Amino acid sequence: MLHRIQELKPISKAGATNSGAASLAPSHADVVRAALAITVAAFLVSLPAQAAPMAVTEVAPGVYVHQGRYEVQSAENRGDISNASFVVGSEAVAVIDTSGSLALGAELREAILDVTDKPIRYVINTHMHPDHVLGNATFNRDDPTFVGHYKLARALGTRSEGYITANKQMLGEAAFEGSEIVLPTLLIKETTTLDLGDRTLILEPLETGHTDNDLIVTDTKTDTLFLGDLLFSGHIPTIDGSITGWLAVLDALQQRGAARVVPGHGPPSMAWPEALEPEQHYLATVATDVRQQITEGKTLSEATKTAGFSEEAAWKLFDQYHVRNVTAAFAELEWN
Amino acid sequence: MHTNQLGRLAILALCMLAFMPGASADDVEMWPILKEQTFGDRPIHEEDGTVVLEAPQKVEDAAIVPLTVRIPPSVKGKLKSLTVFIDNNPDPKVATLTFGPAAGSGGERSFSTRVRVDNFSHARAILELDDGSLHMATKFLTAAGGCAAMQAKDPDADTAGMGKTIVRTFSPALESSPIWAGQVMIRHPNNNGMQLDINTAKFIPARYVREMTVERDGDLVFKLDATFSISTNPNFRFTFAKGEENNLNVSIVDTDGAVFEGRSERSGS
Repeated sequence: MLHRIQELKPISKAGATNSGAASLAPSHADVVRAALAITVAAFLVSLPAQAAPMAVTEVAPGVYVHQGRYEVQSAENRGDISNASFVVGSEAVAVIDTSGSLALGAELREAILDVTDKPIRYVINTHMHPDHVLGNATFNRDDPTFVGHYKLARALGTRSEGYITANKQMLGEAAFEGSEIVLPTLLIKETTTLDLGDRTLILEPLETGHTDNDLIVTDTKTDTLFLGDLLFSGHIPTIDGSITGWLAVLDALQQRGAARVVPGHGPPSMAWPEALEPEQHYLATVATDVRQQITEGKTLSEATKTAGFSEEAAWKLFDQYHVRNVTAAFAELEWN
Repeated sequence: MHTNQLGRLAILALCMLAFMPGASADDVEMWPILKEQTFGDRPIHEEDGTVVLEAPQKVEDAAIVPLTVRIPPSVKGKLKSLTVFIDNNPDPKVATLTFGPAAGSGGERSFSTRVRVDNFSHARAILELDDGSLHMATKFLTAAGGCAAMQAKDPDADTAGMGKTIVRTFSPALESSPIWAGQVMIRHPNNNGMQLDINTAKFIPARYVREMTVERDGDLVFKLDATFSISTNPNFRFTFAKGEENNLNVSIVDTDGAVFEGRSERSGS
């Protein structure tokens, strides 16, 4: 089963014909055609600017994922740098992460409306980072339950000002317009099940790893595991919680099976547990190198010049995030 | 003391003004104000090699920016004080060290810590020698984290372990060196009181390390007055004059008046 899923490719943006799309999953082409039709119709009746649906891949029946770019937020990418997903049940839809702006959230919402007319009942955020939550406000009109780890509200609450300022700067006023922090209304403190009709989602709050508010989601019907930013592929992992905590989480997750996993940054669908190996290797290398520097009495600045650089070729955005990761790892590991 | 605090409030107000819409940090040139307030009209020798400030060329994490101040071995004699500023931080004065007899009078002396940087800003180290002369080194920091940079990654873990203090000494590679190195780490969230929690519409109360005294074998190495510009879990590296036992005793006081104490393990090497 797994080899087939790995071959799936996302439909290219804006509905341009993709030779792979039709052969792999004919229904996708239909989705794109419908999307085009809706967009054109919107123009014809000159409604206020209507969002075009974002490209999504159906990685398993009723499970759709949009793949973000391996980039830092910019005016050019409008914040489209993380994966956003939705799961369609017989009664309701759950959104899992909403991308990096109100506009992108609206495009995700259009992609959902192309697939189903079921109500959007849940908007789940896997963690606090702006590229996963700033599309939330789009869904206010659906009056969903906003769901997150029980520490998500605090994390967002105290960072909102900084997140808003930084993202407005990176995306520019136009792309950022209307984006805001929407706090969760359902806080997950222990394993919780959400019913979408004919399928249930299992939500598990984890200990500090990528952040202190990581929440993972399993769609039981297809055995799809949404890992949020606990899994990076291609895009270098970023540590904003605890490197030892993250490694421990990966060890535990490695023991369990899943038909497929959806990373926060990376391809829409990956095989488990193979998908975690590069990330595990990166984090373990950084931890080992940093520990050695600490043992040798080296300083933080010295460590940032050498630790983990053997991983440089393996990751996109290494220059942007690696030294920051070493810094975080050093500040944590020197206490162990 | 009282006037000092008033002055600090004034600076805080000025900085907040700088962050208000319509104004930018660039509109207010902080250094002349800081200089006047701290050193009056005393002359300051700039970049004369008496003191060297090291900072990363590109700041990666504005919440943990390593700064090192070095005093080259060519500078002989005792030191009076060292003050570190980050001009555009909400409270620009990062720390002042007042040196004691065990700070030493030769060798390469240094002081390192990690700071929060709120916006693009100059960082400055001003060293006061025993003769009262002032010497300054400056670096420009291209870091901006906004208030988010002031945030701890795992506040529960930091609060749970609060007060844990580790003190280490490092004997020199050369037996003949007059200088040893020491390190103090303390688990403390160092909250700056500037984060509005939109859940409660309240500011998280400020609580940070404000004073640290380091002694070697009972003699003062330095007394440090600090602000919340020091990163979460404050970390200091410094040098001290070689003594008999080379044991460090450290006493730390935070803004709530809590006292934390630490003592170095006997150096193994």
